[in-house]
Amino acid sequence: MQLKMALAGNPNAGKTTLFNQLTGARQHVGNYPGITVDHKEGHLQYQGQTITITDLPGTYSMTAYSAEELVARDYLVYNRPQVVINIVDASNLERNLYLTCQLLELGAPLVVALNMIDVAEARGIEINAAVLAQHLQVPVVPIIARSGFGKDALLSAALQVASTNQQWNPLSISYGDDLDTTLSELIKIITAADLMTETYHARYTAIKYLENDDQIQAKGREISPQTAHLLEQLVEKTADHSRLTLDVYPEAIIADHRYGYIKSLLRQGVITRKFDADRLYTSDKIDKVLTNRLLGPVLMLAILFALYQFTFSWSEIPGTWLKNAFTWLSGLVETTLPNGTLKSLIISGIINGVGGVIGFVPLIMFMFFGIAILEDSGYLARVAFMMDRIFRIFGLHGSSVMPFIVSGGIAGGCAVPGVMATRTLRSPKERMATLLTVPFMNCGAKLPVLALLIGTFFGENKARYMFFFTMLAWIVAMLAAKLLRSTVLRGAPTPFVMELPPYRFPTIRGLCIHTWERTYQYVKKAGTVILGISILLWAMMTFPGLSEEVSTSFAMKRQEVMAAAAPDTRAELQIKKEPLSEQAQALNKAITLIGNEEAEMALRHSIAGKIGISLESVSRLAGFDWRTDIALIGGFAAKEVIVSTLGTAYSMGKVDSKDAQSLSDRLKEDSNWNKVTAVAALVFIMFYSPCFITLVCIAKEASWKWAAFSMAFNTILAYLMAVAVFQIGTFFSLG
Amino acid sequence: MLRKREKNIGGCFTDTVKRCFTRNHCSDLVSPLSNRGTTGRIKICKVTGDRRVCSRIAAMGVYPGVEADIICSGKGHSCVLKVNGGTVSLDADVSENILVTSL
Repeated sequence: MQLKMALAGNPNAGKTTLFNQLTGARQHVGNYPGITVDHKEGHLQYQGQTITITDLPGTYSMTAYSAEELVARDYLVYNRPQVVINIVDASNLERNLYLTCQLLELGAPLVVALNMIDVAEARGIEINAAVLAQHLQVPVVPIIARSGFGKDALLSAALQVASTNQQWNPLSISYGDDLDTTLSELIKIITAADLMTETYHARYTAIKYLENDDQIQAKGREISPQTAHLLEQLVEKTADHSRLTLDVYPEAIIADHRYGYIKSLLRQGVITRKFDADRLYTSDKIDKVLTNRLLGPVLMLAILFALYQFTFSWSEIPGTWLKNAFTWLSGLVETTLPNGTLKSLIISGIINGVGGVIGFVPLIMFMFFGIAILEDSGYLARVAFMMDRIFRIFGLHGSSVMPFIVSGGIAGGCAVPGVMATRTLRSPKERMATLLTVPFMNCGAKLPVLALLIGTFFGENKARYMFFFTMLAWIVAMLAAKLLRSTVLRGAPTPFVMELPPYRFPTIRGLCIHTWERTYQYVKKAGTVILGISILLWAMMTFPGLSEEVSTSFAMKRQEVMAAAAPDTRAELQIKKEPLSEQAQALNKAITLIGNEEAEMALRHSIAGKIGISLESVSRLAGFDWRTDIALIGGFAAKEVIVSTLGTAYSMGKVDSKDAQSLSDRLKEDSNWNKVTAVAALVFIMFYSPCFITLVCIAKEASWKWAAFSMAFNTILAYLMAVAVFQIGTFFSLG
Repeated sequence: MLRKREKNIGGCFTDTVKRCFTRNHCSDLVSPLSNRGTTGRIKICKVTGDRRVCSRIAAMGVYPGVEADIICSGKGHSCVLKVNGGTVSLDADVSENILVTSL
């Protein structure tokens, strides 16, 4: 029989770290609350038993205040795992046991995993697990999820609990005379009406009614409106009484009693402190500086700018190596294969297409490494806290920061997990505004385009320009959010309440895993989706090709030029003599020009060329020629394709050329491109329609209507901005 | 509105006398958390505002009677509190509804 186990705990208590340790999975782990927004399953074999482990999202309580809390509670009550492993941060026991209390009140068969026992010891906190187990009446196992310490003992304890196959037996905590009396009355009514008793114990339902739990109340009304009305009346009476006598809601009294219960437990020999319990730890002292209302934002900007400097200066050398490798490969194919479709496919479709994307792997890797340091150290949560002030002005929420950062707020993310991360937002309107504006961030796919165009036209200050364009992405996203929140998504803001995780030293292993998992996704995408789209676009740019008549006329032109040259000069070209004489060089240039003219005509005659030309009348206003249009159309499928398509489009006329130039050099030499065109193109690429995969994700998270809105709104906005940039820039001759 | 609330809380004779003579100290007796301009130890006297928000912050350990440390004072903006072992950040709207007194 397969055993079902669930991992539950506070956000950032180490659930996913333990999940990865137990199952060997590589789920994303970070020192930021709310990384896991849905439950994830993994499997393991232990003592001949197959165990299915579910990693639940982190929650502070079991009351339906957020989507994650609902996911966790619904999973536990509807799937009834044989064991629930409650991961508790040992260095912050008092707070973490609050959820333990609620799991015990739910009656779940529990095993408490005292995680980060090493951190607790370093803070002078000694925990007597045996005494805690005795008081809670459940096994308590000290573990260190990062290193795997205590893993076996935890699994053995969990198997033992599972083997007893005990009934869900809820814990009863006293909530004071007033509430206890109401609870007894509520329990009587619930039991008599048999209201939700199959799912929850009557006492648990009664507590949730007192806690004003929306989901439970709605379910009650749905199942038995009369009983629900009775219960609600009784709860209202008690709430009025508590407001009148104590000036608090019943849920505050419940929280007070739960914390009181925990404190009384801890005082019974569970915890021994070497230092004062109320002392401020190093983490709090750092916070006094890093979250200071004046110094904090200045330091935040300095840290982010340092990240850009680090990324661009350190990735330049390996990036050049990779680009040179692809140029060499391109040159090798050029000299070995005979001219024709196959050679064009390999050079233009595969090497220039995929190579253009792979060439940016070092840059992406360094950026991910930097983001991993910020996330694992706990600093990203502080960024969310500081950004809340700014976000609020634009109608967004502090919790929107993580979706923005995941999507590429610090260039190099991906909008797909960013869109999914919006699930942590409670307000539907704030969530929708975040969901529609996160694609404006500079994701990892846009990064190569930014790096290419900035490197080509503003090469002297790459990091500074990259930082500027990242800031521009934020500003436009904020303004777009404000526009949406003032029009189609008008509504009141919701409060920002978030627990800040303690600062931790990131481990090299953790950083490497984070960097690798994100870089691997990028490389995998380049080798599969991008390769496919690259070949498809190459085919669209190659076929149907020129008619035989036109091809013959170009061949004749070449023959005529060759025939006009002296026999010695012709021989020089045929034997590929090095170096060529002046006459031979002139002949070679004339032949190449004919070849380029033919290739350009073929490209114009191709399917993609015809589409590009048909759009040119509109795109010209923004400074884009038909070749750029082809690349931008490709970007609808995946943004990475823009660089590869530009590579293909601008290399097609150069098949016969001896020197394999880089795309950057080709753009620099092209008369259609200058600094103004580059900025207009960057603005358009940064803000136009999200890629197809992101659109599907938006449709899944919201609806196809919103996905279509996102595509149209972003494209129109991007086009208007690009036109403005190009027209103003050209008027002032800034190119 | 908040002024009215302040009058209702901490209404002992000593406080009334203090209020009459020391205007600056008045705000130190019971005042919204958002008004605090300095870090230090405080006691939460009352939590008002939206019921769901009150419930959520109560679950995070912020409820009347609890002692906490202000790590980052908001002075009209968001603030950071160390309470029940955890570090909680609260925005200006929430901290405006938390009435505290210095310890």
